[in-house]
Amino acid sequence: MANTKVIAVGVAAVILIVAVIAYASSYMSDFDNVQRSSQDEGQTIALTDVPVLGSKNAGVTIVEIGDYQCPACKLWFDNTRQDIIENYIETGKANLVFIDMPFIGADSTSAAEATYCANDQGMYWEYHTTLYQLQQHENDGWANIDRLTAIAFNLGLDTEQFNECMISKKYFSQISFNKQKASTDFAANSTPTFIIVNTSGTAERLIGPHPYSTFEKVLDSLL
Amino acid sequence: MNNTFETVYSNYTYILIAIGIFFLLFFPLITISEFLFFEPFIVFSIYPETTLSFLLIVILSFFSALAVSMNIYRVKLIKKTKKIGSSIIGTIIGASAGACSCGPIAFSIITTFGTAGSIASSFLNVYEIPIRLTSIGILGVVIFVTTKSLSRECKINL
Repeated sequence: MANTKVIAVGVAAVILIVAVIAYASSYMSDFDNVQRSSQDEGQTIALTDVPVLGSKNAGVTIVEIGDYQCPACKLWFDNTRQDIIENYIETGKANLVFIDMPFIGADSTSAAEATYCANDQGMYWEYHTTLYQLQQHENDGWANIDRLTAIAFNLGLDTEQFNECMISKKYFSQISFNKQKASTDFAANSTPTFIIVNTSGTAERLIGPHPYSTFEKVLDSLL
Repeated sequence: MNNTFETVYSNYTYILIAIGIFFLLFFPLITISEFLFFEPFIVFSIYPETTLSFLLIVILSFFSALAVSMNIYRVKLIKKTKKIGSSIIGTIIGASAGACSCGPIAFSIITTFGTAGSIASSFLNVYEIPIRLTSIGILGVVIFVTTKSLSRECKINL
């Protein structure tokens, strides 16, 4: 009887381990395919293609690494971002760039692509802001393709051009590139992660939805 | 009920155990829930939207400290370990709800398990408050049952 139990537990453990390895390897192969497809297209994608909020000549750049479905990113967006914009970005002291690291679900990638499609019509930051304002629970469909198109319509974008951009996956490579950069170059393993860097290359890293007081201290020390 | 608390915590060892368990749970939970940051310097912050979550962590840690310390007393007294398991289950359920779905723990789960990890992480995040309330409920029942049985068993032992 005891032997049967041991065998049953052993079999269950082996099945679980095999399932985990199979799942992990299939997920990683998907990730590799994304990387390969972006390389195969032969496009030159660089972080300089990323939209900048504020003056390009500002003394400090805040790099935000985020996911549009991330609740902690929304927390930071709702409570801290506006103060930084008023006191550092609008005054020309700092600028902000957003690097997509969509990992929470498929809608995260679509939402990130949608911001770049909106950028084609000069509305990147407006679309970015609207996404965080409308954020709901992860993977509950709030950022599905239909909703993304509705957001574009409400912002007054040319929805035909927007849809064409989304359907053709025009910015899939850009988002894959951003995601890869976020995890390799910036070593981000959670969102939001912030890299604050000044013109002399001195950088400070903040992980999580830090309050405004933290940014104030770090930005002042780097300016 | 008051008598039971007096009996257990008249021994300072159990007060120390309770305080130790409280902080052992409280600090990791507020760290993974991103209320406490250690880099670039120590920062503690609560946003209006996360006040309830923080309060539930305080209550959960307090109830866990009471439940576990009282059950340690009970185990020493009557050598029965049944209820300590329930209090640990209650604590684990409450603690598991804390990690933000975009924090490092969730990131590791999602990148390792893909869609399944994403669903699990989303579930823990979406139902964070009900899960914590459930675990507080379990711990409340454990404390109630433990105080009842302690008062009964202490009388018998006396």
